[in-house]
Amino acid sequence: MSEFEYLRNLPFGQVVPGDSPVHRLDSRARILAFTILLAAILFTPHPLGLVFGLVVIAGGLRLAGLPLGYALRSLLSPLPFLIILALLQVFFNAQADTGLVLLRLGPVLITPADLLVGGMLLLRFAGLVLGISFASQVLSTSELTHGMESLFRPLERVRLPVHDGVMALVVAVRFLPFLAQSAERIAKAQAARGAEWTRPASGRNPFTRLWARARALLPLLVPVFVTSLRRAETMALAMDARGYASRAHPTALVEMRFTPRDGLAVGLALILAAVVLFL
Amino acid sequence: MAFIELDHVSFQYPSAPTAALDDVALAVHEGERVAIVGANGSGKTTLARLLNALYLPTGGRVRIAGMDSSDLSQHRAIRQLVGMVFQNPEDQLVAAVVEEDVAFGLENLGLPAAQMRPRVDALLQAFDLWDHRLRPPFMLSMGQMQRLALAGVLAVQPRVIVFDETTAMLDPAGRRTVLARIDELHRAGTTIISITHFMGEAARAERVIVLSHGRVALDGPPVEVFSDPQRLHALGLHLPPAAALARSLRPVLPGLPPDLLNTTDLLEALPVCPNPVAVAPEAESAPQTAPRADVIRVVGLGHIYLKGTPLAHRALGNANLRVGLGEVHGLAGATGSGKSTLLQHLNGLLFPQEGQVTVGPHHLHEAGADRYAARRLAGLAFQNPEVQLFETFVGDEIAYGPRQSGLDRPAVREAVRWAMERVGLGFEAFKDRRSFALSGGEQKKVALASILARRPEILLLDEPLAGLDPRSRDELLVTLRALVDLGLTLVVSSHQMDDLAGLVDDATLMSGGWDVLNGPAAMVFEREEELLASGLEAPVAARAALELRRKGWPLPPGLVTPEKLLAALRRP
Repeated sequence: MSEFEYLRNLPFGQVVPGDSPVHRLDSRARILAFTILLAAILFTPHPLGLVFGLVVIAGGLRLAGLPLGYALRSLLSPLPFLIILALLQVFFNAQADTGLVLLRLGPVLITPADLLVGGMLLLRFAGLVLGISFASQVLSTSELTHGMESLFRPLERVRLPVHDGVMALVVAVRFLPFLAQSAERIAKAQAARGAEWTRPASGRNPFTRLWARARALLPLLVPVFVTSLRRAETMALAMDARGYASRAHPTALVEMRFTPRDGLAVGLALILAAVVLFL
Repeated sequence: MAFIELDHVSFQYPSAPTAALDDVALAVHEGERVAIVGANGSGKTTLARLLNALYLPTGGRVRIAGMDSSDLSQHRAIRQLVGMVFQNPEDQLVAAVVEEDVAFGLENLGLPAAQMRPRVDALLQAFDLWDHRLRPPFMLSMGQMQRLALAGVLAVQPRVIVFDETTAMLDPAGRRTVLARIDELHRAGTTIISITHFMGEAARAERVIVLSHGRVALDGPPVEVFSDPQRLHALGLHLPPAAALARSLRPVLPGLPPDLLNTTDLLEALPVCPNPVAVAPEAESAPQTAPRADVIRVVGLGHIYLKGTPLAHRALGNANLRVGLGEVHGLAGATGSGKSTLLQHLNGLLFPQEGQVTVGPHHLHEAGADRYAARRLAGLAFQNPEVQLFETFVGDEIAYGPRQSGLDRPAVREAVRWAMERVGLGFEAFKDRRSFALSGGEQKKVALASILARRPEILLLDEPLAGLDPRSRDELLVTLRALVDLGLTLVVSSHQMDDLAGLVDDATLMSGGWDVLNGPAAMVFEREEELLASGLEAPVAARAALELRRKGWPLPPGLVTPEKLLAALRRP
């Protein structure tokens, strides 16, 4: 593998096009439903509710015609951290002991309550990761931004620049792959001039080492900033040239239609969320 | 009344000591096709940006269809009338999805979706982007992005389109496509204003405006503007390559009409040989030089970018290359032919996934090869190296490489001085200047010096001449020849065969990730068909030589530069 392929680290091509009942929903309905369900999973105090939440997400994936395996794979990379976190919870749970001790490891007592807390942490994170992975498979950047713009539009009445904010978000997303590419190009160019930031810096004390490492990054950071700024300036000019004006009310090519079915979906999400929260 | 009127317009950037444009008076009529040329820093881009109210004049007035550009309330109308295509298509693609980018201008005009849809769909079809309409723009190829950029501008149906060096970085095939679109638009009645460094392109316009130091130096039909090479040279410009060749051929082919500006006309006008000889002479045997030892050897090289991801694509498959010690080797190829990927293997930046790469004593395909030593041996300059500068002062910038090699202070100083003198920057005059305050051309020199300072024995240059104005191009060619005289081995990539033909000994034609042709420059640059099929164009001299031979002139093969062609025609 090349040491320079930064593009590899960006999440790409995650949206899976389809024509399922989930895909056919208005993007705002999808955003609302996901937000409601994920919030419920995040805040529920009930283990059974969590299990139910996972079942709901698995059911949603099925309904959308997405393979469960693909979503589960997104769990793989954070899994070690989750397990460590869960173990920490098990060992250092501060909740009052109920008296029953399952295991005694030196000064550490492990009670059923400890296991429950650790297990819930695992389930909660699994639910969130699966839910976010699900959302990113059925919501494109464009749907997300248009949906958010429409949902936040009421805030324009209190003079919040919603359209500009969303446009900034779109441009930021457009910039990500560019940043990765230009960092890659510049890192290569500096490597060709003898930069060796993959090699460990040497020095007598840790402070000089840290300083040396920070300095070694300078050849990369300065040109990335300069090109990005230059680029941003040209893009702003191009947007101006194409008639973008921040105070105008532009129309949108993709029209959104909120049908009763979408309302139904959001209602269903609310009911399911209530079950997750209060089961 | 003229459609666009500049009335004694001046423009000064806030921090600049002098005006970028100084008292410019111009009128462009509807339906005209105008080219604007001039050396770097002559004010071309500034002028373009005044035409659609991106910039407002600091003196005088700009009127577009009667609207004064200093009236802010007219800006929306002005920008709908005057569309602009920038140099880098990536800079003007804004939306998250291709079809929404086409619609961006229409959305800003507040058109209802029902009216937008048919226009957007028709443009997507016409520009061959229909299958990609739901993809994010950054996943498109360069050519597709270029088409998308133009589609987005055309969507709002502007009456004038300004092309700001749109073709500067395109390979010949890409340029032909864009120029054909411009021809089409012009025929349909759109006013075209194109800014370019290519004199051949300017010659296609009805009117050429030459800017120099912010003033209009010449303004007239191409025949008139390109009639005086000395005057052009003083303005930092050149004749179009075909016109220059025609001019130098006229003494030996007196029948050649004056005022030939483009290649097609020149080829047509070449006379039939008055006394054809039945047998074409043999190629003169090249002076036998001792065969050079190979310093670079690439066998069966393959490379896939982002291997194992949805974005994986193959850049090289079975590429081969041999470069002799002290040779100047040309890598000819269109965008995406794999020449940059190949160059990055030659100094160990990329590891061979398939095949073998040997540079000097380093077998880079073997585990444990010293890539750092290979990078020292072979210095690589990327396209637009000036964007990679990071130090405040020129001297420090160039000293970065030698310092990394662990040289002591006097040795670093010596290396910096040597490198600066090679590229024509005085050591004392420039070492304490600020890099970011230099002109674009000077920054390029600093970047080249910063690579030379590591004293590489091989210099790898990726598209060094792309986007340069004629004067900077000539200066760089002189510098490169001087480096060859010092014994450096050069590998130069380019998609402009006219640039390579006069510089290189041998050449490799790359296409689709492998080497289509390998051999002496005189042989490779004559293969019109293979070059065309690879998205390139044979040098104008080679095309003239082929045409003359077809017309019965007894010319030997291998005449790929104007000098060689002229010498062969002079021979009795």
